[in-house]
Amino acid sequence: MAATLSNLTSTLARLSVSRSAGCTSTLLHRTAAAPTRRSLTPVLSTVSVLSSRSFSATPGAAKGAPAKGGAPKASKRRRKVKGDKPDPRIRNLKISNPRKVPAPLRFARNRHLRHWTIHRAWLLWQRKEREGEERELMRMYQSMASACEELRTTSGPGTRDEGYLYRVAMEKKGLFGHNAVPIEYARPQTETPARIPWNHDWTR
Amino acid sequence: MSSCQRVARPITRSLQQSHVSHISPFALGRAFSQSAARKDEVPPSTTSAPAAEPVPSPASTAASPSEPKAPSGVDRDTVTAYWAERRLIKQGTPPVGSRRRRAAIKTSENIPFEQLPYQAFQEARKILQEDRQEKLRALQSTLASIKKLEETPADQLPGGERKKNMRLTSLRAHVEELKILADINDPIVKRKFEDGLGDMNKPIYRHLAEKKWRGYPFRLITQRIEQLNIVPDVLPKFEPTVDVQMYFRQDKVEPGEILPSLVTEKPPRLKVQVFNSGERLMSVVVMDSDVPNAETDSFDRRCHYLAANVPISPDQPSLPLSKVNKETQLAVPWLPAFSQMGAPYHRLSVFILEQKPGETLDIAKLKELYSARDGFSLKSFRDKFGLNPVGFNIFRTVWDEGTAGVMERAGVPGANIQFKHKRVYSLKGEKKQRGWEVKRQKPKYKSLWKYTHRIRGLPRYKGRKLD
Repeated sequence: MAATLSNLTSTLARLSVSRSAGCTSTLLHRTAAAPTRRSLTPVLSTVSVLSSRSFSATPGAAKGAPAKGGAPKASKRRRKVKGDKPDPRIRNLKISNPRKVPAPLRFARNRHLRHWTIHRAWLLWQRKEREGEERELMRMYQSMASACEELRTTSGPGTRDEGYLYRVAMEKKGLFGHNAVPIEYARPQTETPARIPWNHDWTR
Repeated sequence: MSSCQRVARPITRSLQQSHVSHISPFALGRAFSQSAARKDEVPPSTTSAPAAEPVPSPASTAASPSEPKAPSGVDRDTVTAYWAERRLIKQGTPPVGSRRRRAAIKTSENIPFEQLPYQAFQEARKILQEDRQEKLRALQSTLASIKKLEETPADQLPGGERKKNMRLTSLRAHVEELKILADINDPIVKRKFEDGLGDMNKPIYRHLAEKKWRGYPFRLITQRIEQLNIVPDVLPKFEPTVDVQMYFRQDKVEPGEILPSLVTEKPPRLKVQVFNSGERLMSVVVMDSDVPNAETDSFDRRCHYLAANVPISPDQPSLPLSKVNKETQLAVPWLPAFSQMGAPYHRLSVFILEQKPGETLDIAKLKELYSARDGFSLKSFRDKFGLNPVGFNIFRTVWDEGTAGVMERAGVPGANIQFKHKRVYSLKGEKKQRGWEVKRQKPKYKSLWKYTHRIRGLPRYKGRKLD
């Protein structure tokens, strides 16, 4: 009895998708309460007629038959590389790139407008998120830059001269690991290249 | 009757009975009245004249076209019974749409589009409405800052008058942008525009119309301008900014189409769609840039039609050339397009020029200057009266069976003239004949004469006229 009830709800869910997409929530509640969507009432009547008939066979017998039939077949079948079942990655690959490209979806007017609205809202939301992240990063960067500027113009603790703390803050030793020296210490990073950028006549 | 139908019979009967009483509130809901969508939103108060209200929801419930009611009271949108359909047809107001559509409208709940219970859709609507509120707030604040800036005198601001004007221009451009951004995500606006019901006085519909125009028709027109060499021949530089459609009776003319002369005997009807707001006066010029001149072996220009001071606004695009006012607007009446036999096709270009705001051209002066249609120059017309060419369309004409009759009726001489191409003789001289056969013409090769004396164009033997 419990099996037939669960099967009933699953078939109802499947049928509801084909009839009216997006109304599954109301459909599942309806099995308990009185029908609220009048257009779906005939569906319920036909499904109840079908479901009582389709699950008459005992599940044990149904499961036993393919298992028995499968075992003698496995030895005759060529052994696949990955065992009986294909690898889920290969299955995914085959589904994602079919030989024949599936036909494009065709929407009714209202369906298309709803899709368009949802698409616009999603893009807008993504834009807002992106811009929010950019703003936050910019805010953090600017706050750090203004802090460094403040340090640069401040005389250090005690007798240290102007900009001491700034120069200490700009050191990067140990930033990329314990006792690591960053590559930019090899040569000072200037804004413009040197007056003699490369000495071609240098010898050892 | 199947068991399912038998089971459902009492339910469907009750549905049908109950639905008849539900017609009137649903009919109102079915009109997708936009006031339902925007009831929850507070439209901002307009502060200055240029800030046209960007609310895309005119209260159109009173005049909605989707509520057809026949005199008998039976709804044209929801009849399904055969006898009711026949009655409506007899009355002269046939039912609207297919029977399946009418049954669907009758038996569905007719929820207005914005209230359809799809979760993702409603969530999306929430997000878009929040964004719209944000844009409206930004619009209000920008308008306030424009007002404040206008009120402060220029010498108090850093940068003076010039900077103040620059700031005002960019603030006003920003206001226009915000007006469009507030409504661009609205599916009702999109639907209304696609159905051709958009009010062109509103900036959003004008923006959508311009976008649509720039998608294909604009590109087509610029291609024709380039292909048919309008730009170097008629004007040195020209970029259309206005959509001009031309119709001869009910048929739309594709730009550059070769039309029969009988069709172009009567003046066409133009539909001029401008994409910026306001009414302005326009001039229409139809000119032929390929009038052959045998003496100079080149082409002259001729004016076929000239009208000025025609009012055009975004919601009044219609411009029938035959219906302009003869005294105040028409300067040169319509001359049918014709091309003489043997001459190449004539390009008949239709130019729409915008007059300076508030300026009216003197029709008497135009008549005096351009009634002699020959030798018309669009460049001089434009420069003399300070006009700006904004719209363009073109058709071509060749000699066909009806052209002689058209020219006779229009009183134009020259239907019996045929132009022929003057043969240009090459300065190179006779080409030497080449080939195996040519080298073996002499009597020495008498045995081969049956092969070599059959060259096309050369006589077989000396004295024979042709082969």
